[in-house]
Amino acid sequence: MPSYNRRSFLQLGLGVTVLGAVGAGCSPATPASRKQDSRTFTIYWNAGHGYQAYKEVIDQFGKDHDLQMNWQKFQWPDLTTKLTADFRSGNVPDLVEEVSAGTGTQYGLAGNVLALDEFAAADKEFGFPGDFLDQAVVARQYEGKTYSIPLHLTANGLLFYNKELLSAAGFEKPPATWDEFLEVARATTKDKVSGCALNSDPSYAAPYYNQQKVDFSDVGAKQFMTPADGALKAMQWMQDLIYTHKVSPAPVATTDYSGPQKLFSAKRAAMFVSGPWDIGPIRQGSPDIDLGLAVPLTGAVQSAAMAGAGLMIPAKAKDPKLSWELITKLAAVKVELAATKEAGMSMPRKSWASDPAVAADPNLATIAKALAVVAENDVALSASGKAAQINELWKKSYQQMIIQHAPVGPALDDFRKQAGAAL
Amino acid sequence: MIRRRQALTAWLFLTPAVLFFVLLFFLPIGNQLLTGLYDADGAFTGLGNFTRAFEDPEVLHSFLITLAYAAGTLVVGTAVGLALAVILNQSLRGRTLFRSVLLIPYLTSVSIIGLLWRNILDPQVGILNRLLEAVGLPGQTWLSTHPLATIVGITVWSSAGYTMVLFLAGLQGIPGLYYEAARIDGAGPWRRFFAITLPLLAPTTVFVSIIGLIGTLQQFALPYIVTGGGPGNATSLYAHRLFIVAFNDNDFGYASALSLLLLVVVLVLSLAQLRIGDRADA
Repeated sequence: MPSYNRRSFLQLGLGVTVLGAVGAGCSPATPASRKQDSRTFTIYWNAGHGYQAYKEVIDQFGKDHDLQMNWQKFQWPDLTTKLTADFRSGNVPDLVEEVSAGTGTQYGLAGNVLALDEFAAADKEFGFPGDFLDQAVVARQYEGKTYSIPLHLTANGLLFYNKELLSAAGFEKPPATWDEFLEVARATTKDKVSGCALNSDPSYAAPYYNQQKVDFSDVGAKQFMTPADGALKAMQWMQDLIYTHKVSPAPVATTDYSGPQKLFSAKRAAMFVSGPWDIGPIRQGSPDIDLGLAVPLTGAVQSAAMAGAGLMIPAKAKDPKLSWELITKLAAVKVELAATKEAGMSMPRKSWASDPAVAADPNLATIAKALAVVAENDVALSASGKAAQINELWKKSYQQMIIQHAPVGPALDDFRKQAGAAL
Repeated sequence: MIRRRQALTAWLFLTPAVLFFVLLFFLPIGNQLLTGLYDADGAFTGLGNFTRAFEDPEVLHSFLITLAYAAGTLVVGTAVGLALAVILNQSLRGRTLFRSVLLIPYLTSVSIIGLLWRNILDPQVGILNRLLEAVGLPGQTWLSTHPLATIVGITVWSSAGYTMVLFLAGLQGIPGLYYEAARIDGAGPWRRFFAITLPLLAPTTVFVSIIGLIGTLQQFALPYIVTGGGPGNATSLYAHRLFIVAFNDNDFGYASALSLLLLVVVLVLSLAQLRIGDRADA
């Protein structure tokens, strides 16, 4: 029979206290959203899209439903990382902004986000898909199911130019073709100013290869960057802008896509190719720049790449009906118009496009023209589940060609081989 | 009876630490081992993910550049830290201030360091090129032309203060008597450094190199922030590759296998360094 004295009780008490404290600390971490009560509504959003127009809708939604709105904003790569981890843990947000068309399809086919067709069919007033431009809808559908609702519809391929710099070089009109672009870029390259600025983000190569009628992928045929001669021409032309004609600085590898816009805003570049998301930062950061916005260039054809975020509901969201209700409010035409007024962003609704305020805006008219020439997306790539992997391979090849000055032909061949193997 | 009671007390105090390591280290490692046996679609592959790593050119590339990064950082970092420690071990005016200032980068978040250097080194808008231009020198494009060496340089810059502090502690443990005797025997500063300082700092050097090696083999944040692993895959270190496999390719089985292989490499290299250190001590 063990004997207990004051010392042994003290030891026991201390041990139990420490054990309890450590036990509490080591207990499985309660995921943040579970720890919060069920009245918390979590949204993942892109940091660049935190417009006041959306904030007002979200705040009002919280008040109407007595919800604590947890609006989390991330850069796209961080949002994707967090979401991937959330899907694995099962602890998901209630609503997520989708980086671009097709991402939702990829998640949806893996069972991670919901198909939204039933919600849309039961909510005639929302007007989906009838009131949405076809290209924004079709790019989000696979085998009859829609996995996200378009929030924005934009075109990457718009030509941003500094009117003052072009005028000083003797150009009153922006270039319309590749030859004219090179001519203007040469004429405006002086001292510390570059005629143009290329991006380190490989998605910004899309307008150029689309203008040579090149398709990024044809999953059915397991082909990438075809036809090969067009791809070679496009990528060689981009490389030559930097290393042969010396009208663009070599971009620096980074996760930030805003390098050309920053150079343009600092009056160190006369032109760059991008989308409407760069209008706001230029207007706010450099209001003294006389900004010109022109339609996409014509290579073999005039073309642009489709871009624009969407909205998707995780399959394990607490209350998908509530999430859908917020989607309908965020993608309502009056909110679209408010966001356009605030940030110059273009939107996917037909009723937005026909609004007098939109029709009268010259920049939006230019964007509308660009949207009319966007190249078709290969939805099968998203459906393959390998889009992210193949995009990473493309990033490597693109940076080797554009930043490291690797020979274009072998780099493209290498990419095709690796992408084909990944499929 | 007393021994039993002592054992019970010992276990009571040890239990929190044991629980801590079991729950937060060994269980996750076990879970990772289990995950590493399955492919991206959830099918059992046995050791397939582990053998795949040895045939994956991207993984082999990332492993080789990680070794180059670790070697560069360790050699240059140790030399710089030691040099700073020897200088600031002298009785100089303001040495406490210098020591504190040199430690600041180590105390700063790696995110801030990454963004800071990213902005300094930017060829178009970075301050370094403006300074170089101001004194008539050509601008640099190191982030594009020498990306890995640039990451090594930033790592050395941020960790030199910490290495210096470790070497300073080692230097202050060397009795002044040895230096006095050497001086009387006519040994100059270099002779004293190579015959006394360097050999007696061997344990510190081993410690610095082991800690440095573990840190550099696991480096992720700096290349992720400064270059995003690019250009191409020039700075896609092993941990960055692992991150891409897990969160971009969504292949957690393969990523788990890769992380376990890294654990094995770190263990083997650390044990080898300890052995070398023991021999040097003997």
